[in-house]
Amino acid sequence: MRAGFGIGLNALNNLKSMSKTKIINAMFSASENPIPIQLDLSEFESVVQMNTTGRNNSDLKNTQELLKKSRIKIRDLNYTWIERLCTTDAILNEKMTLFWANVFVCRDNNILHFQQYNNTLRKHALGNFKDFIKAIAKEPSMSKYLNNRQNIKESPNENFARELMELFTLGIGNYTEQDIKEAARAFTGWSFKPNGDFFLRKVKHDFEKKTFFGKSGHFDGDDVIDIILEQKQCARFICGKIYTYFVNPEIDAKRLEELTDYFYQDYNIKALMHYIFSSDWFYEAKNVGVKIKSPMELLVGINTIISMSFVNKKQLFYLQKMMGQVLLYPVNVAGWRGDKSWIDSNTLMFRMKLPSLLLNNAQINLKEKGEFEDTFTNYYKQKGKNRFFKVNSDWDAFNKQYGKLRPAELKRLLLVASTDQDTEALVSNLLVRSNRDFCIQLMSLPEYQLC
Amino acid sequence: MNRRDFVKQSALASSLWFVPNFVKAFEHVAKNTLGVKKLVIIQLSGGNDGLNTIVPYTNDVYYKKRPQISIGRNNLIKINDELGFNINLAPLKNLFDQGYLTIINNVGYPNPNRSHFRSTDIWHTASDPKEYLNTGWLGRYIELFGKMPYAGIELDDSLSLIMKGEHINGIATKNPKILYGNTHTPYFKKILNYQTDDHLSEHNLGYLYKTMIEAKSSANYIYETSKTYKSKFSYPDNPFAGQLKTTAEFINSNLKTSVYYISMGGFDTHANQSNRQSRLLRTYSESIEVFIKELKENDTFKDTLILTFSEFGRRVKQNAASGTDHGAANNVFLIGENLKTQGFYNESPNLLRLDDNGDLIYTVDFRSIYATILDQWLNVKDSAILNRKFSKLDLFT
Repeated sequence: MRAGFGIGLNALNNLKSMSKTKIINAMFSASENPIPIQLDLSEFESVVQMNTTGRNNSDLKNTQELLKKSRIKIRDLNYTWIERLCTTDAILNEKMTLFWANVFVCRDNNILHFQQYNNTLRKHALGNFKDFIKAIAKEPSMSKYLNNRQNIKESPNENFARELMELFTLGIGNYTEQDIKEAARAFTGWSFKPNGDFFLRKVKHDFEKKTFFGKSGHFDGDDVIDIILEQKQCARFICGKIYTYFVNPEIDAKRLEELTDYFYQDYNIKALMHYIFSSDWFYEAKNVGVKIKSPMELLVGINTIISMSFVNKKQLFYLQKMMGQVLLYPVNVAGWRGDKSWIDSNTLMFRMKLPSLLLNNAQINLKEKGEFEDTFTNYYKQKGKNRFFKVNSDWDAFNKQYGKLRPAELKRLLLVASTDQDTEALVSNLLVRSNRDFCIQLMSLPEYQLC
Repeated sequence: MNRRDFVKQSALASSLWFVPNFVKAFEHVAKNTLGVKKLVIIQLSGGNDGLNTIVPYTNDVYYKKRPQISIGRNNLIKINDELGFNINLAPLKNLFDQGYLTIINNVGYPNPNRSHFRSTDIWHTASDPKEYLNTGWLGRYIELFGKMPYAGIELDDSLSLIMKGEHINGIATKNPKILYGNTHTPYFKKILNYQTDDHLSEHNLGYLYKTMIEAKSSANYIYETSKTYKSKFSYPDNPFAGQLKTTAEFINSNLKTSVYYISMGGFDTHANQSNRQSRLLRTYSESIEVFIKELKENDTFKDTLILTFSEFGRRVKQNAASGTDHGAANNVFLIGENLKTQGFYNESPNLLRLDDNGDLIYTVDFRSIYATILDQWLNVKDSAILNRKFSKLDLFT
């Protein structure tokens, strides 16, 4: 569950005869060659082509028109990404991609750049952390998001250098303000071409000597990243994030040091994940069913059991807004905090009602927030009052797989969190008309919010 | 129905009569810990253009930088030798004349951020611009002093950061009946009726159950209390007025909620600003006028303070599309009966001294306003909520 988004019965039955080692190996081999997401962006690509061949076709109106189209495409990317999460065989790689998107937090309106960014996350998700962070530092979306494009030797912009250390590699308090200043100089002149390729604006780059973490040299950005990774704190920082995401929101200091020692050797993400999944402690009861699912884990998890397709994609966006996690639209550079912070009175009610909203035609009676850019009318617009979700759920497939299960078996499959006697009493007193109803009831329990 | 079903059904039916002690305990927690003072916060979302709201009508720079969208000196409500109200704020002028309005100019924070998202976060969390906080300042107030979600209500269907605490959050509703319905579904009740307090000690599961109980009892409290007072006033027909009307019903029904948050959208006027902003300001001021009338009629205005802010002001120079782009410092309105400085609290905006982007430079840190309100209006220790001390303003009598 924690390596993916839950497991269907058929998949589980296939695994039953296999040893733990085999299961883990199968999981990794399914994630070996991640497939990038490729929307049809020919319209945008041809504009880039025209601009680079010198034909200037981009007056203000066209640019604005293109930006508008780009914004719409980013929504498409959002839907496509969720669909990918629901249908992929490379489950671990996709889960890691989702994880890294909340470490290397970024936002962009340019679909060409942002799709490329998303695929860079996907490509390195189980790769080497050093290559990964160097690739991220050269991404146009990141360059724009953290103002590295404005970072020039005459007046260095420290934003990227600061967040690189504070949020991406070391954590606050593990570097000095002077380190930030020196690192910012090393990244001066880092820029990109319209097609998304990295290039160094030599006249804007500071080639002079820098002193960073006690070392001196004519460092550039890559050198700075090398030095950051020499700090064991970097391995600790990343392992801490991985631990709270995959193992338990409460960190066990001893385990964290164990992981840090291991990861620090070569920063191989795949090896680290393999190490975690092969350990015995990963499966200890205290580490199972204790984390609050992210909205995405909840939604994709439901889909793992009952395959759904959204007739109206906007409703998929609505769901994300109501639950507070819209992919590609992070709240700020620090990302979603996860676990308890997903939950307040309103989101919890919504999350517990989600299965019946999606699967049982319950009525939508709440509205998502408007956007900052909206006009007054649009800000308050009720998009179809008293709506229902238009979702096609594949109940035939569900019945084939789960129709004959005994209630206890279905319960064991859906609830990974331990259920105490109160919940046992409740569940055993539920009126089970069909496994379909029972499934929705189980998914509406607080216990289902945990993974 | 066979026998087995019958037994099951009756077991369920009987359990409905049984309200577990731990649920009761929660419902009786701390209804009297908050004072009688109310704070209503209104955000003009999108960034209201403060210079066309309170117009520096004797300033040549203003007219020079805004050839198309400046407001002529004969088309506004003059207040003093320098400043006048946008003509659509006539109802606000009435409040001003009665001494119910303080306008604080040039409010902002150092190194202003011009992103709606980030700047709203900064105003909501009361953070430093370089700091990322996960809780809102009202959320921290609710957590420390209110203890229950209903201590703070956002007039919407989902909760903003301003209302979020670490483990206790405010609650969002613009319709208590729907909120009640969503927390009192038969299944929701059934789940709670089976629980004893065992769950509450568990880490995250306990947190979920606790949140469920708080949601249910807050929804119940808000619904049952607020239905004892129904507004008879005629508000303008728009959703913002609707939010204010519901707030008036909450306040006048004597709900023990002490902080309210309302976001009014539409202020991101990059193009063709004049007509759009006029309509918005009229909507705002006419709705506020009825709201205050209703509070006065019920003798609750004396205990209510209304703070209106925007995540940023707009650039002094207009843009090519007869609009304005994101700016920095802006004016903040305080409305209430107990204001010390009626009218303008401080100096007018200085249009000759702008920052590198051509934006107004702040002279009052918005957190000083928060600190003063916490300390002197809500009567709590402001540094406990703002995490440090800010100099206070002299706002209240």
